[in-house]
Amino acid sequence: MAVSDALRPTATVSTTQDTDPSKRPNRFRQALPQYAAVSPFFVLFAIFGAFPVFFSIWLSFHSWDGIGQMTWVGLEQYSYLLTDPTFWKSITNTLIIWVISTVPMLLLALIIANALHNATRFRSFYRIAYFIPNITSVVAVTMVFGSIFSNNFGLLNAFMTSVGLDKIEWLSQPWGIKVAIATIVAWRWTGYNAIIFLAGLQAISSDIYEAAKVDGASPRQQFWQITVPLLRPVILFTTVTSTIGGLQIFTESQVLFGSSGAIGGPGDGGLTIVSYLYDNAFGSNQFGYGAAIGWALFVLIVLFSIINWRLIGGSDDERLTKRAARRVQRKIAAEQTAAGTAGKESTDAH
Amino acid sequence: MRTERVREVVSHVVLMLGVLVSLFPFYWMLVMASNTTPDIFTYPPKLVLGSHLWENMGNVLDNIDFFGAMLLTLLASLGVTVLVLFFDSLAAFAFAKYEFPGRNLLFGILLVTFMIPSQLALVPQFVTLAEFGWIGSLKALIIPGAANAFGIFWMRQYAKGAIPDELISAAKVDGAGFFRQYLTVGLPVLRPGLAFLGIFTFINVWNDYLWPLIVMTDPNRLTLQVALQQLNGVYGTDYSMVMAGALMSVIPLIGVFIIGGRHFIADIAAGAMKF
Amino acid sequence: MTLTRRKFLALTAGGAAAASGLTGCGSRSSLGAPDELSLWAWTGSVNDDLVAQAAQGIPGAPGKKISLTRIGGDYKTKLLTSLAGKSLVPDIVGLNDDVATYFPNADQFLDLHELGADKFKGDFLEWKWKLGITPENRMMAYPMDTGPTALFYRRDVFEKAGLPTEPADVAAAAPEWDDFIALGKKLKQAVPGSAITDNITSLYQYALAQLPKRYMTPDGAYIGDGDHIKQAWDLAVRVVKEGLSANAQDGSTDANAVVTNGRLVAFVGAVWWAQLGPKNAAPKTKGLWRVTPAPGGPGNRGGSFLAITKYCKDPEAAFAFITWLESAKNQAQSFLDPVLFPSTPASYDDPRMTGPDPFFGGQRIVDVFADSAKKYPGTYFSPYDSIIGDPIKAELVNIEIGSKTSEQAWRDAQKLVDRELTRVGAI
Repeated sequence: MAVSDALRPTATVSTTQDTDPSKRPNRFRQALPQYAAVSPFFVLFAIFGAFPVFFSIWLSFHSWDGIGQMTWVGLEQYSYLLTDPTFWKSITNTLIIWVISTVPMLLLALIIANALHNATRFRSFYRIAYFIPNITSVVAVTMVFGSIFSNNFGLLNAFMTSVGLDKIEWLSQPWGIKVAIATIVAWRWTGYNAIIFLAGLQAISSDIYEAAKVDGASPRQQFWQITVPLLRPVILFTTVTSTIGGLQIFTESQVLFGSSGAIGGPGDGGLTIVSYLYDNAFGSNQFGYGAAIGWALFVLIVLFSIINWRLIGGSDDERLTKRAARRVQRKIAAEQTAAGTAGKESTDAH
Repeated sequence: MRTERVREVVSHVVLMLGVLVSLFPFYWMLVMASNTTPDIFTYPPKLVLGSHLWENMGNVLDNIDFFGAMLLTLLASLGVTVLVLFFDSLAAFAFAKYEFPGRNLLFGILLVTFMIPSQLALVPQFVTLAEFGWIGSLKALIIPGAANAFGIFWMRQYAKGAIPDELISAAKVDGAGFFRQYLTVGLPVLRPGLAFLGIFTFINVWNDYLWPLIVMTDPNRLTLQVALQQLNGVYGTDYSMVMAGALMSVIPLIGVFIIGGRHFIADIAAGAMKF
Repeated sequence: MTLTRRKFLALTAGGAAAASGLTGCGSRSSLGAPDELSLWAWTGSVNDDLVAQAAQGIPGAPGKKISLTRIGGDYKTKLLTSLAGKSLVPDIVGLNDDVATYFPNADQFLDLHELGADKFKGDFLEWKWKLGITPENRMMAYPMDTGPTALFYRRDVFEKAGLPTEPADVAAAAPEWDDFIALGKKLKQAVPGSAITDNITSLYQYALAQLPKRYMTPDGAYIGDGDHIKQAWDLAVRVVKEGLSANAQDGSTDANAVVTNGRLVAFVGAVWWAQLGPKNAAPKTKGLWRVTPAPGGPGNRGGSFLAITKYCKDPEAAFAFITWLESAKNQAQSFLDPVLFPSTPASYDDPRMTGPDPFFGGQRIVDVFADSAKKYPGTYFSPYDSIIGDPIKAELVNIEIGSKTSEQAWRDAQKLVDRELTRVGAI
């Protein structure tokens, strides 16, 4: 391949000379192997990431079905987007699904992590059992849950009837659809988050608990006053990851309703931002509009990233200062020729 | 001591309940896959395994090219994994262990690309691949994902701590070039990190849905996930057959995971703690 | 405009790719091996034996074979995406009764006039033949089957409810939709849970399928807000309000389940529903179903076309295949399985069509559907019918699931249609 060809001649160059940082133009030549080593990512990103991003700006000013002629429409796609109630519905749907999946999921994960922390036996069995949902494909999982929530013959409704409750037409009601999708999301990610919480719990020194016990704190007090505050960085990590994941929910509604012709299901109850994008771009072949929706999604993710960043920044000044200090150290180390930084960070690298 | 015992017991009760919820859908999948469709659609529903599993699985094989889809998915997953492991570890090795002008700038750019949601450029990516003539081919599944920022970032963290500078210096003295240093010093030490990144990448590509749904336009060459959804989407379809297909599609990955998952889980948790 | 796009792409994408050495040779071919013509169709749209025969060799095109792929899920999306993808496009494609929505991209398909289609014109129903021709007189699509509608019902359940059981009597008891609703109410009383439609949009579409006009006039005026549409709309709403819909939305698991479990005991459906509905989903009900003229009169829903894409490897062979497949003789065979109703009147007297169908208790169902097909007035499909129909159907679903009143849903539907039509520049 192109890459290894590029490497071979330059690799010999780097062996022939000795390091002499004072010779400026040489520094670049000397670093050719390293540039070659990092280039695959940048080349691929340029073609399949950066170029499409710029292309999508241009595309979003056009009306185009991907087959025929492109017509310049200026900002029309964007004005249509902002005035499209379905678009706003897809945003509120996404946020609702995100909230009703994330909140119970993180609470349950915390409880499970706590139990895992206390249990001394069967740990690796539990870990595997809790992690398996996460590596199972969303498509297969959604099919199973689709049958559990099915209106007429679902397991859930059968259960509810057997205990004397009324049937609920889960997959016909906008809120029922959201509950079903949120359940799938929560089912897949609770174990994952629990295992991350567990790692956080294990990092908390047991001395703190001992001290609290001496002070007479009940287990409940210990949980809320020691465990939760100390886990905050980990909780924030899980919140950030579930935000990014939550904003991109797609597969669940596509598998549940994709073949019905209305991707969001009845009342568009399961229409998420990405499924709105997919449906417009590839369902109705409105490529220009699809590009515009991509930008809307981008703005949303940036918005939420800023909110998350604020939360992390505000709550954890110490971490930030540590990070800044590290950056300065790195700079100093970089100016000296010796590879000094490696030793510094080796402790937290693994 | 008694409270310790009680706490242990309570924990196990909670955990077993959780395990039940975690694993029940798999059982239910098996129940549906082993009964007939009319059996599934009855009230009260059957909760025990039936005897039609082979028959349903046979129907899957009749209706979709299951093994073809599996082979394609395997090729795509392996292809991406091998390339990602090579490109990412090579780049990470360079970022972690060498000084070169613009290193921090390049790494900064790499981190910024993290921020871009993959769906932003979905449409133009499709159009670009259409212009290349790649739509429908394995290339469309492998090449765009052959190197990624996450893997480089993660491997760099790993490489920093794991590769002793002395070894690199020694290799330099022996006259080894950069690529030789990567092969003889970097790769052996990075092996555990590569194992994690490999499993992670493999699972992600195996389970990916949106991208193959869009670019694999030839219905005879679909990935497993898309083929499964196609099986599901056909009107008038046989539900227990769909579940048999779902079952067949999740078994390989779960099998691999049960064998090699323990380290993987530990690495996931460790990775999260580092952010 | 196309030029600009090409230039833009060539300069940027092509340039970047060439520089990196990653670009492959752009394949612009159609799907399949050189001696194979790939055919895309959805489930239940062609006769298996005939396709198997063509897979050995296309009659009239020596050395060429057909390779059929059944497409599940959203067919149109997949076809359009494949056309946009520009590679691995199939040679021959099936198109549904929304054939007019492909007219703006008619240049993606070959003009069948040029391949000599006109000499077959006389074999086909005239209204059907016309539907495949664009306003610019380009023959984009060749007729396959038609979709005459009729009333399917479960004789055993009618008997249980003390209703007429013989086809002629049932037809006499329900000449109009009002009578049919009254009948449905009796059914529901006798057998709780009984439904006369799977969902609201189904009923709406079958009511619409009986009308001589749809959403637009041939000269481009929007009439989707007219009385004829509102009446079909109101009728569908009424059936739901009477509790006679199973509320099993299209494409859901329930849509099949309601047939399997016998909730759907009477249904105005198109002929192909015989296969996709009871024959597939409820094989155990063999012998219990009957067919009779539908309340509200004859109608047509569905019925497909075949088109040859511009990527086709061998247009002559492809044309030989479609004319052979859609000959009166072979259409008669397609009626046996998968119950496709011929668009060639000569087929109606074919002995294979006039035989008794054991699934329908030995009834000669061809009589019912041939009658419906012959009396059907025909209608005009515009290229915009999908973008008009989709919001209307979506709003109907909103009524069925109880999230909107009929008045509000109607207003919202019209507003949505107006937006969509303005956007594509149709009004």
